[in-house]
Formats: sequence, C-alpha cells, structure tokens
Amino acid sequence: MKALVQDEATRLTARVDKEQLEKMASVVLGGALLTLGLQRRSLGGTVMALASSGLLYRGLRGLRQLTSSPRDRREEGARTETPSVQHAITIGKPADELYRLWREPGTLAQVMSHFAELSTTSAEYTHWRVSGPLGQDLEWDTRIEEERAGELLRWESVEGALLPNQGLVSFRPAPGNWGTEVTLHLDFQPPGGALGEAVMTRLLAVPDLLVNRALRRFKSLAETGEIPTTERNPSARQGAHLH
Amino acid sequence: MRALCWNGINDLRVENVPDPEIVNPRDVILKVTMSTTCGSDLHFIDGYIPTMREGDVIGHEFMGEVVEVGHEVKKVKKGDRVVVPSFIVCGNCWYCQHDLYSLCDNTNPKPEVQQATFGQPTAGIYGYTHAFGGYAGGHAQYVRVPHADNDCFLVPDGLKDEQVLFLSDAAPTGYMGAEFCNIHPGDTIAVWGAGGVGLMAMQSAYLLGAERVIAIDRFPERLQLAREKAGAETIDYTQVDSVVEVLREMTGGRGPDACIDAVGMEAHGMGLEYAYDRAKQALHLHTDRGEALRQAILACRKGGTLSILGVYGVMDKFPLGSIMNKGLTVRTAQQHGQKYVPRLLEHVQRGELDPSYLVTHRFPLEDAPRGYEMFKKKEDGCVRSVFIP
Repeated sequence: MKALVQDEATRLTARVDKEQLEKMASVVLGGALLTLGLQRRSLGGTVMALASSGLLYRGLRGLRQLTSSPRDRREEGARTETPSVQHAITIGKPADELYRLWREPGTLAQVMSHFAELSTTSAEYTHWRVSGPLGQDLEWDTRIEEERAGELLRWESVEGALLPNQGLVSFRPAPGNWGTEVTLHLDFQPPGGALGEAVMTRLLAVPDLLVNRALRRFKSLAETGEIPTTERNPSARQGAHLH
Repeated sequence: MRALCWNGINDLRVENVPDPEIVNPRDVILKVTMSTTCGSDLHFIDGYIPTMREGDVIGHEFMGEVVEVGHEVKKVKKGDRVVVPSFIVCGNCWYCQHDLYSLCDNTNPKPEVQQATFGQPTAGIYGYTHAFGGYAGGHAQYVRVPHADNDCFLVPDGLKDEQVLFLSDAAPTGYMGAEFCNIHPGDTIAVWGAGGVGLMAMQSAYLLGAERVIAIDRFPERLQLAREKAGAETIDYTQVDSVVEVLREMTGGRGPDACIDAVGMEAHGMGLEYAYDRAKQALHLHTDRGEALRQAILACRKGGTLSILGVYGVMDKFPLGSIMNKGLTVRTAQQHGQKYVPRLLEHVQRGELDPSYLVTHRFPLEDAPRGYEMFKKKEDGCVRSVFIP
C-alpha cells in the first residue's frame, strides 16, 4: 500500500514540482471542502443562509476557539493553522456494539459519504478519495495504528499522503441509560504556502461540520439502521434540495 | 407531480416537481388526500424564519393513502389510509423513548444549522425550512414519509378526512399544551389565540378536566367558534383596556391557573408595546412580537403554569421577573404528536372531539396560493384552508 502511494506521488512529481504539488493539494482540498457547500450531500446552502444572519458564524467561531490549541494559535502567523477538530455525541447503544459497527466494512464509507468516498482495502487500510473541483481528486490511504476493542481506534494517513491526517474515535460508557459517549477527533496537516494558508484559513470551519455530521450519521445508523437524507427530495428548482 | 412551492417572501406557486421516491428502507410514499395551512407556515412565508430555498415544497399537516412501501417497513401496508404527524421521528433514540418526539435525534439531515442557533438540533419537519431538515412537504400529490412505522397512524374506518386531518398537528399540539397545564378539577385555563391550535387546546383542556376555559382573540368568527365549538368564555382584546385585568376580575382576583400561548411570533396587539415589537421586527432587530406571551405571563396566577405553543425565534423584553417572582412553571415544546395521536383518534371515534369545523375553506391544490392568502388575511372568516390534490 505504501509503495502504491509513493508510486502515485512519484508519478505526479514527474509532471509538477513539489511546490506546485502542494498548491494543488491545497486547492483540491479547498475545492473539496468548498464543494461540500455546492454539491449534493452538502452543508453549504443552509450554512450560508444562517451565516448571513450572523448566528452560525458566531457558533463556528466559538467552536474554532475551542478546538484550536494555543500552539496552533501561536503558529498561526508562521504557517497554515492545523485544523484539529473534535466532537462528542451520545449514542443509545453499548460501547462494544458501536465499536463493532464502526469496524464493519462499509460503515465508515456510509458515515463519511458526505465528505469522501471510502473503500476498505484490508482490515487495517482504508482508501479515501475527496472529489475536488474540475475533476481533480485528492486521495490518500490510512492505516489503523491502534485499536482497543470497545474503547478506541486510531488511524493515520500513510507516509507520502499529500494531505497528512490522522483520526481517533473513542467509546466511553455514558451515565445512566444514555448508552455511550463517542468522540471523534480529526487532524489535518495541510501543505504550506500562501495558497494553502489562504484556503485553510477561509475554510477552517468546515472540518468542524465534517466531524459533527459524521458523528451524527454514525449515531443515526447505529440507532435506526439508516441515515436521514433529503436525497431525491422533490423540489421545483433543480438543485434546491441539494443544500 | 404538482406541488405548492415557496419561491420567496410571499411568493407561493403550484408547480411541477419530480415525484418523491423511496430513499431509505423505512420510507413509504403517500398519495396525499388532504392537507392544510398552519399559522406557523406564515412565519417563513412572511420571511421571519430563514433557510427556505426557492422551489421548496411546503406543508406539514397532511394525510393520505400509502402507495409504496420500503423494504424495512413492518406495520404500514400499501392501501392504508393514514394521518402523519408533522415531525419526522425515529422511535428509537432516547428522546423518542421518552415520548419527547419532536426532539428526535435522528431525523434532521442538516443538524449543524440548529446546533449553531439552538445549541442542539431537533427533529426534521415536512416542508418547514432547511434548519428543520429540508424535507419536501405535503401540499403535493405525493409525499415521502420516513420511519413510516412510527410516523403513520392508521385512520379507523368511518372517519372522514377532515375529522382526522388535524391530528397531524393542530390537535396534538393543542392537546399537549393542555396537558402541560397539569389540570386539576376546578381549574381555569386561558388560551391566547382561537385559531386551529388554540381551539384544539381549549377542547383538550375540557377533555382533561378543566372547569373553565377563557379564549382571547380579536376576530369575531374565531371567538364565536371558541364559544360555540369549544365551550369557552371569550375576551375580544380590542374591546377591553387590559386583558390582564379582565382575566383577574373573571377569576376572583387570582388569575387563570394556567395560560396557553397559541399565537407565536406574529402576535397582534394594541398600544405602545405592540408598536415597539412591530417596529423592531420590521427592522429585523428581533424576529418576534411577543404581546400575547407577555400578557399570559402577567395574567397567570401565582404558582400557575405557562404553556407556550406559539412558535418563537429570538425575542427580547421577556418579563422573566414576573415568571420568577410568581413562581410560574413554564412548559413548552414543538408537538410530540406521536404520543397523542392514538388517544386523539379514540376521542374522535367516540365523538368527543371533531376538529372538522376548523375547515372553513376548501380548495383544489392548484388554488393553494389563494388558500394561503385567505388564511393569512383571515378573509371571509377563514380559520383553516384545506387543499385536495
């Protein structure tokens, strides 16, 4: 798998130099996040509507302040801020059951389908593909680095990923009959450069929505067997239901 | 199919839209037989609630016949005649398990919008903004109903559409509002607003054992319905100096034991406070006019209950000191319809409740914009317009 990724990187570097590559990765990621707001399965339309009223903006700023560490803020001027996002949700099922569901092939692909196309290549490896603008894609592989059944799962992108990232999901029994508190943490290390910085600064809010929605989708899948959707929702304006 | 679509502030049109499809395995498709207007629709039609999109199909009170069934649907069958509560609920989450259905965790596909504004997201609603999920509504020939086994209620044979249509929202909302009042024998319940929800709240208060119900409104035809159909005493607030004083006098100086606000953010009123609310709302400094709610707080007896059914957004000038010092209990929610529909169906079957008098005007779906216009302006004594696709 690692070799594959390196091959891909080598193939790309044959055409563009490293700096261009990084810029492209930034643009593709930025585009991918932006298209969250323009495409199907997206957040943007509704987000824009509320942002115009100023309410969501405040909400997101609050989250941003909560989730960016002092280190991030110190380094803000020097380098692109590292989007590091964490959210928790309570799910009315035992931790063991949720852990098993998370590990089932296909679950993660369903839960993340608003953001990326996922395919499980083996028990440890997952392939991620994020669609960017103009048909460009950003792809990477993650490998499970740590697993404790019923407790936590940690993964990292394999070496050579254009957008290094890591994730952690943990399961902790909730009080009373609430079930389990599930926490999802994602870190992205976007490529440097002014462009990368601009894109990430502008779009810093989006990983928040990504993590939040992924958790909600997982919860609905666990509790009801399906994920709520307005796909193919009747509307008089093409695309109006896509927001 | 044909459907009533929102296209901007005060711009509703009946248009061609794609037919709904089964998307999730617990969905059914309903052929709508009747749907109705609701006062809360006016909030987004008038532009006070954001997150509508051009082309959205609206309508959250409807009933119909099941024509298609998803493969995980167990109880509901093709051909069933059903009424559907306006909130889409999963039946499995903690909130559903505790009968707090409108707080369902699993039916709003766009939860971040409400999370940012309310702190936590609530359930999805049909045809009621993208903050509430963005689901297509029921003023249409067909509608998709998710989680059908929890959300479709079989209509007993022999009942007419207009007898059960309002069990989708107005009746359970009113019933819940009366239940919030924790009614004891001898209690007097005052209800602000004699529209569909208010009238249902008045009748429910009697069903739950209230001794007296007092209705506050200004439209003669609605006050007449309150008297004749709901058995309430009435106050026309345009004809009195102070509703609060009149209520106090009517109750031996105590005030009503519980007060139900069935008005919401577009309350009408008189005098300076109303002018203040109206001006601020027009300038978008706040979304709500709270005249009725403030009266209810001041009128309520010490230690009484304030039951808020009206839909609110962001309101200032909320007399918390009156609530605190008088020790009022505040109960409020969007309707937990799935809890109340079965018992309301029984009341209707036994002839104890017949909401069909709320239907004052009938239209084919094609004339729905006119139906909303009449409803909004209360033309010709319109209480509810219903649409027949």
